Amino acid sequence: MAMVRVNMVLFLGYYKIRDDINTYVMKEIVLKIINTVLENRAKPKVKLLKPDMHLRNDIGFDSLDLAELTVRVEAEFNIDIFEDGIINTVGEIYTKLEK
Amino acid sequence: MDIFLKDISRDRIATWDHLIDDLNNSSIYNIYCKSDDYYKVLKQIILSLLTGKEIILLDSDSTDAEIKKLTGHTDLSEFNTVLNKGFIPKINNKRDLIQTIKNPPPNWKITLFTSGTTGIPKKVSHTFTSISRFVKTSERTKDNIWGFAYNPTHMAGIQVFFQALLNGNSIIRLFGLSNNEIFNEIRNNHITNISATPTFYRLLLPCSEKFSSVKRITSGGEKFNKSTFDQLSIVFPNAKITNVYASTEAGTLFASQDEVFSIRSDFEAFIQIKNNELFIHGSLLGKTTTIFGEWYNTGDLVEIVSQQPLKFRFLNRKSEMINVGGYKVNPLEVEEVILEVKGITNVRVFPKKNSILGNIICCEVVSSDHQITEAKIRSLLQYKLQEYKIPRIITFVDSLPTTRTGKIKRNS
Repeated sequence: MAMVRVNMVLFLGYYKIRDDINTYVMKEIVLKIINTVLENRAKPKVKLLKPDMHLRNDIGFDSLDLAELTVRVEAEFNIDIFEDGIINTVGEIYTKLEK
Repeated sequence: MDIFLKDISRDRIATWDHLIDDLNNSSIYNIYCKSDDYYKVLKQIILSLLTGKEIILLDSDSTDAEIKKLTGHTDLSEFNTVLNKGFIPKINNKRDLIQTIKNPPPNWKITLFTSGTTGIPKKVSHTFTSISRFVKTSERTKDNIWGFAYNPTHMAGIQVFFQALLNGNSIIRLFGLSNNEIFNEIRNNHITNISATPTFYRLLLPCSEKFSSVKRITSGGEKFNKSTFDQLSIVFPNAKITNVYASTEAGTLFASQDEVFSIRSDFEAFIQIKNNELFIHGSLLGKTTTIFGEWYNTGDLVEIVSQQPLKFRFLNRKSEMINVGGYKVNPLEVEEVILEVKGITNVRVFPKKNSILGNIICCEVVSSDHQITEAKIRSLLQYKLQEYKIPRIITFVDSLPTTRTGKIKRNS
């Protein structure tokens, strides 16, 4: 019985670590994409992203940048983050991509 | 305070009295108008109306290369002319100004540029009659307060400006502001009318506040989808939401509550639909450098819903023009400029559907120089093209697909 419990913990732990890695990788890709868009417009890059950062007010995206962001995110994750309406923060991008 | 223009991006509140003083003291006029200050653009248009001189509008973000291509000149300040005293009629008050503007000297014309079909932008000139044809002035419109959400050097912006000007309405700039600023401006100034592209409205959403002062929402330039329409009805509960069809060549032509446009019977003689293509009679158009015969082909494909009265719905454009958030981009113009980049031997510019702007510009390039990067091309194009014309996604390919006639395939 104890053996089964240990296996279960390991099993769940494995999935937890795998999810954490996936989330970490996803966030790194989003950071890279955001910096590509900023770099293409000769705007200053960001070092790290926080979920409450506003895409327009904090990162400085205009509508053209947001449009480019959707295309680049879709090319990477196959998800149109703006399909159901405009999203405003970095955290909302994460939510869309975690689904 | 009777406001003519409020523009918080420049900390400017110009009253009608201030405008009149400014006009009465003007001593210099330039036929070319290129400024990112809305007040200067609008004042210069009024000055042209008072003096009867032509005004040629240029986008403030046009690059030097684009200006040279459009006007043939690099230094537009050479066109400054001195206005002798007495040349401008003395304006006493707002009423006097509006009356004078309504009867401008017969030679007055306003000229804009629109993406031509060949890659060279086309010049379109309007007389006072053609530019003000759809302006409504009445008891109901005299107290309107306009949320100005267009570029003032584009046809849509000009039409909103004339509607507001001839009614003596206040204009509140909304274009280019943050959402919070836009909502503050609507609330604090009790804006009653907003005219903007669907992209402008899309970017305002979601919004949890309601604005009851707004009576009319107008949209044009792209297709307006139902979800945006429904959300706007909640944010602006008292507003009538209208779609308009307008072009730089003809100005506003039709308006509708939904996707179906119905044509007034007195207007039917000026509209023809042949093989699903929409034609407009030449008498409705401004003067262009292109010869098109008696009927002008708009390049728009329509589907007839009913013959009597004539009703139709827009399908899409037959032409290759790409609509980016309400701005038309000619792929040929962009390709020409990209080919000027050293090391690029072939290019294909094409649209990609986008949930924010309708379309975005993409391109594929063939390059003989392996040092060239996407960022490098983008930074070079910044000096040659307006931002909305610059491809947002550039991919490098070995060769480009061509059609049987040797033309580059443009569909994505």
